[in-house]
Amino acid sequence: MRRFRSLTLALAFAALGASSAAAGVEIQEFQLPSGAAPHDVAPDPAGGVVWYTAQRQGALGKLDPKTGKVEHIPLGARSAPHGVIVGPDGAPWITDSGLNAIVRVDPMTNEVKTWPLPEVVGYANLNTAAFDKTGVLWFTGQAGVYGRLDPKTGQLDAYQAPKGRGPYGIAATPDGIVYYASLAGSHIARIDSTSAAVKVIEPPTQDQGARRVWSDSKGRIWVSEWNSGQVSVFDPAREAWKAWKLPGERPRTYAVYVDEKDIVWLSDFGANAMVRFDSASEKFDVFPSPRRGANVRQILGRDGEVWAPESGTDRLLVFRTTPD
Amino acid sequence: MTGRAILFAATLAFAAVAPAPVSASGDATRGARIFQMCVSCHTVDPAEAGKRLPGPALVGVFGRAAGALASFPDYSDHMISAGRRGLVWDAPTIDAYVGDPISVIPGTTMNFFGIADAKDRADLIAYLRRANGIDK
Repeated sequence: MRRFRSLTLALAFAALGASSAAAGVEIQEFQLPSGAAPHDVAPDPAGGVVWYTAQRQGALGKLDPKTGKVEHIPLGARSAPHGVIVGPDGAPWITDSGLNAIVRVDPMTNEVKTWPLPEVVGYANLNTAAFDKTGVLWFTGQAGVYGRLDPKTGQLDAYQAPKGRGPYGIAATPDGIVYYASLAGSHIARIDSTSAAVKVIEPPTQDQGARRVWSDSKGRIWVSEWNSGQVSVFDPAREAWKAWKLPGERPRTYAVYVDEKDIVWLSDFGANAMVRFDSASEKFDVFPSPRRGANVRQILGRDGEVWAPESGTDRLLVFRTTPD
Repeated sequence: MTGRAILFAATLAFAAVAPAPVSASGDATRGARIFQMCVSCHTVDPAEAGKRLPGPALVGVFGRAAGALASFPDYSDHMISAGRRGLVWDAPTIDAYVGDPISVIPGTTMNFFGIADAKDRADLIAYLRRANGIDK
């Protein structure tokens, strides 16, 4: 199915409360092939194509937002791609939990290249990846693994996470410093990209279930806390934390992304909604999905656009933000 | 805490265990590998049964009604309702739920697409049975 729908959903996504009426956001949705269940999304920062992982179909999805044309690129038998990011080479890089491998797809030829984890590592349940400032790709595996792949040499190293299972979301600051979140371990961690040593950083809320991390322009690390339903921020310069509970009765914060204006975007499974947070005013705007079980598991953007995959409804959403 | 990076070595510090026979009901050793898909949210270790994880402990899961582990605070209303309607976890119900969680319990908050391969599910269940002391 290649059906394309482009709708401005200002009404359908009527935000909760009067505060969101002035949301200044236009939402467009793209229907994907049935069963695509997009897990993660990665808009090319250069513009144009938007990549997504079709986890249950073992494919990388490629959307042209101008035409709505969708293409699925098979990644191989038993593939179950989880994360996708666009590397400094302009190519999509995938953490494939089915193949237990890092995968690169050539954006021009669709050629698939795979770097399996060493056999000794075992099954890592690969999750997410981020590039540091030297162009090395760092990745997490929920089984208690983090590691790196140098695309220049093909050298792949994997390490045991210091507190065992749980490494989940991973992100780099503008300076290239890499942090990951441990869901089962309820902490975040900073990786020394030279030594590969990890420093565990414990959030103040116990058992909070840190799921994903993202950096703002100042290198502060924003954390989506699943168990606590909070969003928190760690300021490395001050080694200080601050946390806010999301609105609603029973929030469950899954994804976090910080846009170019340092506005924080979150997904809340409890409210079945996307949530925008302005840390300056400490104000939340909630954008409920009009469909049950939207299940947005990751958020990523580029200038003026915040992309969210509705894994439960086979749709990609883009929130177009108003320029200042 | 500063953790020293430990490169995986041939010591097999990870989950390598002695091969186990493949029974008609599944290969528990292979199932241990498949269970790595679940470990961020669940445990089968009695010592961790009180640990706050995103999902309930699977210690004692066989024979337990859905949504009925008193120490787990985060069940969805849908899961609790399913238990009250009589859903009890055993090999067939786990198989169905793990295969397609949202179809079995619409509205479940378990963030998992499911395991499509029947053998993978059988192996996982074999592992859960072994971890719970049902099979040796």
